[in-house]
Amino acid sequence: MTEQPHSHELAYSEPEKIKEIDAEFLAGHRFPYQEDISLVEDVDLLAATPGEDLNWLEDIHLLEEEGVPAVFDRYSNSFLRIYFPIPEGREDEIARKVLIKHLQSGNSYGIQLKEIHCKFPQPELGPWVEGSRTVGTDWQPPVLEGWEKPVGH
Amino acid sequence: MEAIAGERRISYDARGLAEPDAVAPRIAEIDGEKARLDARDLTTRTINLELRRLLYEEGVKEVEVFNPMSRHSLGVGILTRCKITFHGSLGYFACGLIDGPEVHITGRVGWSACENMMSGVVVVEGNAGSLTGAALRGGDLVVKGRVGARTGIDQKGGTIITLGSAGSMTGFMMQRGRIIICGDVGPGLGDSMYDGTIYVAGKVRSLGIDCVPGEWTDADTELIERKFRIYGLGSPPEFQKFVCGKQLYNYDSLEPAERKLVI
Repeated sequence: MTEQPHSHELAYSEPEKIKEIDAEFLAGHRFPYQEDISLVEDVDLLAATPGEDLNWLEDIHLLEEEGVPAVFDRYSNSFLRIYFPIPEGREDEIARKVLIKHLQSGNSYGIQLKEIHCKFPQPELGPWVEGSRTVGTDWQPPVLEGWEKPVGH
Repeated sequence: MEAIAGERRISYDARGLAEPDAVAPRIAEIDGEKARLDARDLTTRTINLELRRLLYEEGVKEVEVFNPMSRHSLGVGILTRCKITFHGSLGYFACGLIDGPEVHITGRVGWSACENMMSGVVVVEGNAGSLTGAALRGGDLVVKGRVGARTGIDQKGGTIITLGSAGSMTGFMMQRGRIIICGDVGPGLGDSMYDGTIYVAGKVRSLGIDCVPGEWTDADTELIERKFRIYGLGSPPEFQKFVCGKQLYNYDSLEPAERKLVI
């Protein structure tokens, strides 16, 4: 029996076969808070956002990805699916709590990319976590072999 | 000759910086978690570098900037929770690309203030130029004066509030979020908007393509009253609500990746 290629490998070898890019795909695994509501119940949304109300979270709503309830993570351009039953009337609240838990945990793929690629100093985990370490302090432009600076510079 | 000498002084930088070798001047007065920065003799880049040094390296949470002297692009790209007060006016692209700060600007701002702001709060005591809140992604932008043309162009989230009037094509190609205008608004309101809500208390010169009156709900009342309460704007006037008529709305046929661009 031929072993099926991992979805990550497929993304590079046959990208046309990848129809979705969600947080699980980017991370290579599912996160506990996608399956257990008790892990997000204590997330303080007001404390996690600037100002006196929900600020940017006001635009975060529960959506669907491939028929599964999901919240969109704008920091990695991916959906984060939610597998536990969501109590009626708390759809947006739960979606926001799952998203903030994801961001505060440092699991958003965009946060991982920061470490490697960011060109300017910035907090690793973003404004959701106080005292987050600063990354991007020593960025150097990649240099192609044989490349030379433009004349006059 | 001076111009040529100036060109020679610029060294190559892949990030396209005007002053690639600039460093933070380290002149701010720090007092615990607070700092005061006199920007009078600094360049745009050194002011921004000093702000980042204070906020990222020194653990400062609250910065007061004096003598910004209407320089452009100040306070951009700040990606942490903090409070910044600019005592004076700022030029164009003020506080763009920020994610987290609460900013108070005591003067006016030029065009494209808070362009691409991700989250945070910016309060401008005076007027703002055209393209205010362009491509705003989240957070609150409060302008206590008037705003220029194409305010909220390409807005993808967040709330823009102006106590004064707004120029033509306000909310042009707006995709999500809210614009609250307490004064009058020029022609072409909400032209080609895809989604989002525009509230206008004054007169509307004319509606843009596919912008139509919307039905008022309790959620609208709650939003308006909450924002006015938070920012101490007094009793809200009576607003008309405008939304997308969705006659041009065909996102269902778009590829999923394209759909994500507007979420």
